[in-house]
Amino acid sequence: MTATDGGLALGGAGAADPAGGAGGSRVTARSRALPLRMVLALAKAEAWLLVRSMLVLAGLVAGGLLIWLLLHPVQPLWWNAAWEIGAGQFAVAIAVLVAAQLAAGRADRDGMVDLYASFPATAGNRTIAHLTGLAGAVPASLLLLGAAAAVVDLRGAIGTPSSAVLAGGLLLVIAAGAAGIAIGRRFPHPMAGLIGALALFLSSTLFQGGSIWLLPWEIKHDDLSELPGPLAGYPPAGAHAAELASIAVLGGVVALLVTVNRGRARVGLATACILAVAVIGLAGAAQLRPIPTTELNHLMAEVADPASAQRCTTADQVRYCLYPGFGRDLPSLEAPVNGVLAHLPARPDQLLTIRQFVPIDFTQPALIDPTLTHGHPKRQIDQWYAQLQKAPFANAAASAIYLPVGQWPAAGAPLADAHFALALGAAEWAVHLPPTTSSRSGFQSCVAVDQAREAIAIWLAILATHPPAGQLQDGLHSPRSSHAIQATWVRNTLIPIWVYPRARYLASSGPPITAAGYMLAKGMTNLPEQKVARVLKGNWGRWVNWRTTDAQLAAALGIPTPSLRAVLRTLHPRGAGPTAPPPSNEQSPLCTT
Amino acid sequence: MSMNEHTEAIRVDGVSRRYGATRALDEVGLTLERGITGLLGPNGAGKTTLLSILATVNEPDAGRVSVFGLDPCDGAERVEIRRRLGYLPQELGYHRHFTVAAFLDYVAILKEITDRRRRAEEVARVLAAIGLERYARKRIRALSGGMRQRLGIAQALLGNPDLLVLDEPTAGLDPEQRLRFRELLSDLPRDPVILLSTHQADDIAAICPNVIVLLEGQVRFAGSPSGLAAAAGGQVWSADDRDHRAHLSWRGGDGRWRHVGDRPPAGAALVAPTVEDGYLMLSHAAGVR
Repeated sequence: MTATDGGLALGGAGAADPAGGAGGSRVTARSRALPLRMVLALAKAEAWLLVRSMLVLAGLVAGGLLIWLLLHPVQPLWWNAAWEIGAGQFAVAIAVLVAAQLAAGRADRDGMVDLYASFPATAGNRTIAHLTGLAGAVPASLLLLGAAAAVVDLRGAIGTPSSAVLAGGLLLVIAAGAAGIAIGRRFPHPMAGLIGALALFLSSTLFQGGSIWLLPWEIKHDDLSELPGPLAGYPPAGAHAAELASIAVLGGVVALLVTVNRGRARVGLATACILAVAVIGLAGAAQLRPIPTTELNHLMAEVADPASAQRCTTADQVRYCLYPGFGRDLPSLEAPVNGVLAHLPARPDQLLTIRQFVPIDFTQPALIDPTLTHGHPKRQIDQWYAQLQKAPFANAAASAIYLPVGQWPAAGAPLADAHFALALGAAEWAVHLPPTTSSRSGFQSCVAVDQAREAIAIWLAILATHPPAGQLQDGLHSPRSSHAIQATWVRNTLIPIWVYPRARYLASSGPPITAAGYMLAKGMTNLPEQKVARVLKGNWGRWVNWRTTDAQLAAALGIPTPSLRAVLRTLHPRGAGPTAPPPSNEQSPLCTT
Repeated sequence: MSMNEHTEAIRVDGVSRRYGATRALDEVGLTLERGITGLLGPNGAGKTTLLSILATVNEPDAGRVSVFGLDPCDGAERVEIRRRLGYLPQELGYHRHFTVAAFLDYVAILKEITDRRRRAEEVARVLAAIGLERYARKRIRALSGGMRQRLGIAQALLGNPDLLVLDEPTAGLDPEQRLRFRELLSDLPRDPVILLSTHQADDIAAICPNVIVLLEGQVRFAGSPSGLAAAAGGQVWSADDRDHRAHLSWRGGDGRWRHVGDRPPAGAALVAPTVEDGYLMLSHAAGVR
């Protein structure tokens, strides 16, 4: 051993060629090239970690629940369901963002920076591997997409799925993962990922109106579920997908900018960054463009004059008018109506029309869905408003039942409810109960107080669909409280109301039903069906007359008039006397036709 | 310098490194060849800084470093050095939620062992070498401190590196594990360059043919352990009573006092110095306490 300049040298016999025979100054071509195999192997490892991540699994479950919550209450329509499936991926996206941030910041957080710095895999290469490893989030996203699509399809979805829209959900997950990596490379603390996820969540819930187009994860596509078909180019799925892809690119570029130090590479990355921002801006602008006037004109025409678009089928004095594509609902609509017709002693002269309508709120121009009319001048919106006043639903007729588009359930308890609601509507038509009428100030309903035909209608609907007795009884209680009941003032008398949960499935086709009417109908169901049918058939004209009272019907059937004492006790608790009636113009009218 | 250019594996010329006002390394110069070199020095002597520079993690403020003829300041050459390097930092964290095998597999990828079968063999090899085969599927958070240290050594051994830089590898190991570690280093194939820093002078005496003493950022000794021990020759003696002229004294198991100092009394019973004695005399001469 001898000293070198300013130090010492170690020597020893048998020292091998230190450069392994390679010569000291040589650098292989491998050194300068991107070590592709290493990056791919590392990406595979990261992808596998992501696949097995409990966070992603939790996101998958939450996404499934979210999609179920979004789609369960409404009829599966592909032009809406595809977006909702994409929105459900939001939960997976949040989970992937957090998981990716944790993965990207792992070395810093675990105190392994020095060790990692000694590896041939540079920070930039590791970032590329992390970004490529986002492929590990794809199976979760595709699994959710496939499962949701299969369920929607099994429920008999109407329309066809758009692959561009469905792909948006996958891109959302990738974009969130890239953002997570960008955050993790700069801020390894676990809170950074959670804050990022929170920001993503808040951005999706805080911004409304026009800004929804700039936010790809916007989940307010409620209006789509009420349209009779897809609107061409609305929402613009291509621009949406381009925006999400650009956000993914931007996230990746920012992550690389944090880790790459070479000047030329940084210039390239900065250029990519600018391009990604430009595409995001352009895609956002494309999405902010108003829906073409011709498209909306077409929609408004279909709403105002459904006959121009709907296909009608007449069977057994009932006419069913449905928008194209909804024909598969016909058997489900016919079943409860035919059930009522089968028990009817005599049919009305008038044809019953059961018609779909688009439940766009047309009572005030300002309430026209802003996501539909966004960007259009007020004059044009006023024009559509005036056009919608001609819609049949705005001028209800006794012989029509209106079904809101997209609300007819596919199966299960909601379908049973819908069947009862439709049967009740048909029965009301059969006993000549007048429909709810509308005016510019809203709906006005008469009440069939102490009219036997009301109880007959309920009895017919019960016979046709056999709803659970408990559920019928629940109609006496206010949905807000199991002890309170609903009531309305008629001719200065507070009348307890029976409300069956039908509002979701039918536009109001008849008047509110009194608790007394329900109680009598309940008593009728305790009698043999033939006995009631015989009594009704004997004098049908009398029973459907509005002057025939509950007491007369009860007497004819040989049952006592149901007592409303218990119901009224709930309405007027001890010590609290009845309140003063409101002015007559604020009271419901009595049905007298 | 009389070193043959073709046999030196690592060359450090006038390397300095500062951290603010603190000078961690002060014009350090040395060369290393294949075989084990021990690096001794007190805390704060600059050992970790020197090792991190050789591991290409840190860059010197001044001076030059050559590793196998490659310049760590050049990006491509630095990568080439890293391909031949195994490094155990002093304070290594771990991905505690990984299993032992998964962690080693991950590190093997970072070391560019991309072939899956080769990687599996390599992981199995190093696990066997450090005696952790039974714990391959255990999560790192479930391992004891000593096991984690062995895992740290295992990751450094992945890929049979030509240069092993080990910063206090025996810290936390029990006596048997330390002996096994010595055996492990002795059995390494390809006769790599090994530089290990330690506070255990007996480790150095046992396995290092070469030793460097770093004091206050400067190399104060480079040579064989016997040479380092010889630095205390004639300055270690034993006596029945404590001698306050000695720099350091302690009573041995036999009840006699062992003294290390510049001036043994006349007629003192001199004893053979150890590496520790030599290191003590060097640090005393440098004014380090």
